[in-house]
Amino acid sequence: MNKIYTSLILVFALAVLWTIYLTNIKEDKNITTRYYTIKELILEDQSLPNVKVGGLIKPNSININESNRLEVWFYVYQGQDSLKVYYNGTRPDLFKDDAEVVVAGTFDNNLIVATELQTKCASRYEGDLKNTNTI
Amino acid sequence: MISQIGSLALSIASGLILSTFFFLFYYRFTKNKIFIDLSERAIIATCLSIILSTICLLNELLISNFNLQYVAQYTSYETPMFFKVTSLWAGQAGSLLFWSFIMSIYSLIYILFTLKRIKELKYASYLILAFIFGFFLALSNFIANPFEPVSLDIIVQNGNGLNPLLQNVTMAIHPPILYLGFVGTSIIFVMTLSALIANEINHKWISSIRLWALIIWTFLSAGIILGGYWAYNELGWGGYWAWDPVENSSLMPWLMLTAFIHSSIIQEKRGMLKTWNVLLASSTYLFVILGTFITRSGIISSVHSFTAESLGPLFFTFLLSLTLLTGFWFFKRYHLLRSRDKIESFTSREGGFLYNNLILLIMCFIILWGTLFPIISEAWDGNKIYIGASYFNQLNVPIGIVLLFLMGIGPLLSWKNTSSSTLISNFSIPMILSFISGLLYMIFTDEFQIYPFITSMGIVFTLTSIMGELKKSFKSSYNNNDSLLKALLQLLSKNRHKNGGYIVHIGITLLFVGFVGRAFEVEKEFVLSPGEEIYFANHIFKLNNVRSEARDNHYAFISDMDVVDENNKYLTTLYPEKRIYFYWNPDPEKRQPHSELDIYSTMSKDIYSIFSSYDAQKNEAYFKIMINPLVNWVWIGGIVIIFGALFAFWPSSRRDYGTI
Repeated sequence: MNKIYTSLILVFALAVLWTIYLTNIKEDKNITTRYYTIKELILEDQSLPNVKVGGLIKPNSININESNRLEVWFYVYQGQDSLKVYYNGTRPDLFKDDAEVVVAGTFDNNLIVATELQTKCASRYEGDLKNTNTI
Repeated sequence: MISQIGSLALSIASGLILSTFFFLFYYRFTKNKIFIDLSERAIIATCLSIILSTICLLNELLISNFNLQYVAQYTSYETPMFFKVTSLWAGQAGSLLFWSFIMSIYSLIYILFTLKRIKELKYASYLILAFIFGFFLALSNFIANPFEPVSLDIIVQNGNGLNPLLQNVTMAIHPPILYLGFVGTSIIFVMTLSALIANEINHKWISSIRLWALIIWTFLSAGIILGGYWAYNELGWGGYWAWDPVENSSLMPWLMLTAFIHSSIIQEKRGMLKTWNVLLASSTYLFVILGTFITRSGIISSVHSFTAESLGPLFFTFLLSLTLLTGFWFFKRYHLLRSRDKIESFTSREGGFLYNNLILLIMCFIILWGTLFPIISEAWDGNKIYIGASYFNQLNVPIGIVLLFLMGIGPLLSWKNTSSSTLISNFSIPMILSFISGLLYMIFTDEFQIYPFITSMGIVFTLTSIMGELKKSFKSSYNNNDSLLKALLQLLSKNRHKNGGYIVHIGITLLFVGFVGRAFEVEKEFVLSPGEEIYFANHIFKLNNVRSEARDNHYAFISDMDVVDENNKYLTTLYPEKRIYFYWNPDPEKRQPHSELDIYSTMSKDIYSIFSSYDAQKNEAYFKIMINPLVNWVWIGGIVIIFGALFAFWPSSRRDYGTI
């Protein structure tokens, strides 16, 4: 093995180690966020600083603050389980009943205070044929 | 009728692929050349059948045949003609057929041009092509058939229509261009694996595959940049890249292909690194399939949703079999590919290319690890852990800066070894200018940030180095009495491949100018009533009024906001809109709000405005404003990159470079 190849492999190995350190050892909440199911969170009695949850918006649960329309409360559900979410900020356009959302933020006292709210992007728009224009 | 023809053509294509396997099988045992010719014809006929089938589907979309489920799902009578065409790739079934369609066109070019010259690759190429086609045709025939009729109990009067977000010209051309890149890598794969099997990794192979790689790289780059452009101008989160799994899936093959384009130069010039090139070239396609697996399996949650039929397990099996196949032949041929020559010097052009490969590979690993981490962590201890954008930035920003400098260092190094005196004389001017730019940065910015500081030095360093190289070759050709323009044209066309490469590098350096701007982005959310104003980031935003208007396919609230800069000078009036599509629909669920952005764009900064919400009773409007410096340089860099790449491979009268 000549010098140049050995050094290249060494640098690559260092990069790999550094990557693994960042994701697996260093606990930085900007880097790693644990994904929870709603069921897991309902059973959780501690507060958690950094959670990520996906689910659908419970129909008729969207409650927008009348004096500050950027503030919203809603329930996100997976099957039978649902959880209250608070978010303050510009909401994505696709935010509406039964939209698929991913929220990330802190969990305390059965409420998620979301710092991040994403709806699924419409790069694939799978319409449900049965509900439209049928006789 | 037409849809039956399309469906039939799809079945016939599968039959033809099956027959290809038989012909190749017979050839294997009889060695009778006629079976090679037969399989060639069978594959050509397969391609033509797929093209016919695609044309049939396009016809059904255009005439709005809502008896087909696909047509009813993605178009309606109101969908404009142009978007009826683009709905060909808007959904799962259509996009898979479209994938095979592009693959067919590439395969025809490959068979009719490349294989005409490199006949040794025919047998193995047909075998691999048949395998890949077989997989995609099986999907289109049995799992996601675009010619599937709607179920009998439903009569569709009008289709669903295409999502308004996708009714945008950039979004219409982004997927097909990206697909041209993605699918193109399959030809690189076929060509590499077949050359490996036939033991023909030689000069003929490298000069031909390099041209393929450049063309496909151009499509891939253009597709990725257009995707970012669309996201920035339509989605309204103010950025163009979010490290989403789907975005990452397109970047990984790009990185591998970029690495291959560089390392293949060493093989072309010095006949070295064959094993390495084989690995890079074949892994590009494997990364494309991995990306397809990630995006179509739903295994990793992404904001780009791909639901419906889960093709995950199928793509995984496909990926696994391709990987095993490549691995098997790689180890079988390994001893034949090894080269006795070694790259010895750290300060040589070869060394420069190796550093480039190292950096690109590290980036690719970081992205792969971050993208797959939810799966890795879940398999490890059952906790699904997602990786935030901060991870990708923390790692890729410093590595990207090294790459930026490397683009300037590379051209200054000589082949084999660079003497220290050459090193000093080559590096002095770029170094001095780079330090001056660093000083200027410190003087003119209020807050010191390390990455923008080093990046601006890197930009100047690399630009001067490349310009110096261009000037050098200009001087050598400009010693007669030609006019300056003629000499310039001569210079560019003399070594198009090299000079095109330099232009691409200038484009990438300009991208970095745009990236620096990201460090200085600011944003604010606020509420205004007409007549009110707010001060933010040295600008005054004054809301004049909000009016509403019913338009053809939506209802719009249009705000009217003046922007005044710090010197009290009027800059512009922004008109961000809040639109409601399908507003006539009695079912509120079917109505779709859409924020139409308004962006005031200059070379130094963009003022990006979003009309978030409107309270009609109180007459209060909610806005989000972002000041994004230097974003335009990203798009300019993108255009320069594509121009340079086109320049590098565009056929010239002089054959100074390989043919397809």
